[in-house]
Amino acid sequence: MNFAPVDWIIVAGYLTLSVAIGLFGKRYIGNVAHYLVAGRELGTFIGIATLAATEIGTITFMYNGELGYRYGFSAFAAALISGVVMIIVGRTGFIISRFRELRLMTVPEFFEIKYSRGLRLFTGVLVALGGILNMGVFLKIEGEFLTIVSGIDTKHLIAVMTVILLLELMYTVVGGMVSVVITDFVQYVLLSIATILVSIYAVYHAGWGSMVAKVAHTMGSAGFDPILNPKFGMTFLVWQILLWFSVHTCWQTTAMRMFSTKSPETSKRVMSWTGLIYLGRGMLPMLWGIAALTLFGSGTLRNGVPLPIVAGHTLEPIDAMPAMLAQILGPGIKGIVVAGMLAATMSVNSSYLLGWSAVISQDVVMPLRQLRGKPPLNSKHQILVNRIANLLVGLFLMFWGLYYTPPGAVYLYLNITATIFLAGAFVCVIGGLYWKRANITGGYMAMFMGAGGAIVPFFFLHWSENMTGFAAFSLAAGGLVAGSLLGKPPTRSVAPVSAKETI
Amino acid sequence: MISWLNFWTVSLIVAGASFVVITAIVTVKGFEDLRVMFKGLQKQQVDSDEL
Repeated sequence: MNFAPVDWIIVAGYLTLSVAIGLFGKRYIGNVAHYLVAGRELGTFIGIATLAATEIGTITFMYNGELGYRYGFSAFAAALISGVVMIIVGRTGFIISRFRELRLMTVPEFFEIKYSRGLRLFTGVLVALGGILNMGVFLKIEGEFLTIVSGIDTKHLIAVMTVILLLELMYTVVGGMVSVVITDFVQYVLLSIATILVSIYAVYHAGWGSMVAKVAHTMGSAGFDPILNPKFGMTFLVWQILLWFSVHTCWQTTAMRMFSTKSPETSKRVMSWTGLIYLGRGMLPMLWGIAALTLFGSGTLRNGVPLPIVAGHTLEPIDAMPAMLAQILGPGIKGIVVAGMLAATMSVNSSYLLGWSAVISQDVVMPLRQLRGKPPLNSKHQILVNRIANLLVGLFLMFWGLYYTPPGAVYLYLNITATIFLAGAFVCVIGGLYWKRANITGGYMAMFMGAGGAIVPFFFLHWSENMTGFAAFSLAAGGLVAGSLLGKPPTRSVAPVSAKETI
Repeated sequence: MISWLNFWTVSLIVAGASFVVITAIVTVKGFEDLRVMFKGLQKQQVDSDEL
């Protein structure tokens, strides 16, 4: 066991506090807009905290650490693109400010406003499926991190992660977005402290000069130049730009934060400032991965990179970073860091649980009821359906998440599962907002061809992630244009909705 | 290689410094935002009760 009693006290204290303040949020839930978008009352600073906490989890640290270990400083290109694209989206308000004007609660809701209820339902199914599969690997990877750093026996992994998931579910189910925002704030502060502490420790122990020398010795110029690196190159960089534009605008959990802000201007400010945090979100854990390579990268070569050897055992590259933390952090600091990582885990998981269950309830269950001729549910019943969906998603994750192991680098698995729906959704949203000719036929074709363009090349033709990403976005765009030109002209236009027209 | 290393070093310093500074600002000002959010939510509930 790597944990001292003081570490356990810090972690237990954090968990108790987190659940208590999460449950506090329930008193503010009066209708479905409170539950899903916190009554659209988010200001700039709390917006930054909840957006950053939602998209910075232990999973983020793990996959970025793995990228740093495998590809050296070249991996920084992915982090730079994600941050710069976010700043551009924030400064221009591209998609997000129009979305906020429409007073949406989910991304697929837009598809009914612009296209049709059927396309909203179809998009809702794809978004929920891709999102839940994406989140499916979180628990296992997060569990690996916790067991390695704390030294808990791996046979307790399932029990530990189940308890954490149940705690997250407890406050997310009862308090929805309000509880998630309050806990996100506390969790953001904690995870940021942990991130800063680990960065200082990692560079101090590995040494900046040694880290540069190790990458140069192991990878040569490809460890620094992302265009030269065989895993990256220009195709990767262009695909990443497309992917991050779609993630920052159409990813349900990110978009929900924009929907929850007080105004379109607030949403732009939140996005712009969080873009700067995104640079550190990627680069700092990549730096930890490079430190782990420097300290432990002495095993046999795999794809040109030595496997990590820790205490005589050969590990996978993704496990090198937590193994390093277990060794370099002292008592007390280790407790703070693990509490910070737990905070990161819980903030991401609770937000994702809420995001995907919102899509299931609002964009699958509700449209299905309406298509069958049933009357719309009132606010109380909508909240109930949301809570049930939340529980079911949590239950699914408990089983899928702990047993499924993704092939290859986790970052790329996450990118591909996201692309299944993001390619079509992003193209449809751009067409719907900025092209008058976009119609239902084009919308369906974009969603089908985007999903097919991600699934067929990657899973059946075994193309690289970069080429798969290109294929998905290109096919989706081609589908929207072809369908819109061949089909009947659109009958619906997108106009902002006034506050009185919505809940 | 040297130019890329210099570029990543500067990027890393900007990223790290931004992370620290924004965290400090958000930690202080986020409390006020939370208070305003609670007030707004309470007002919404009162308004909907009155309707």
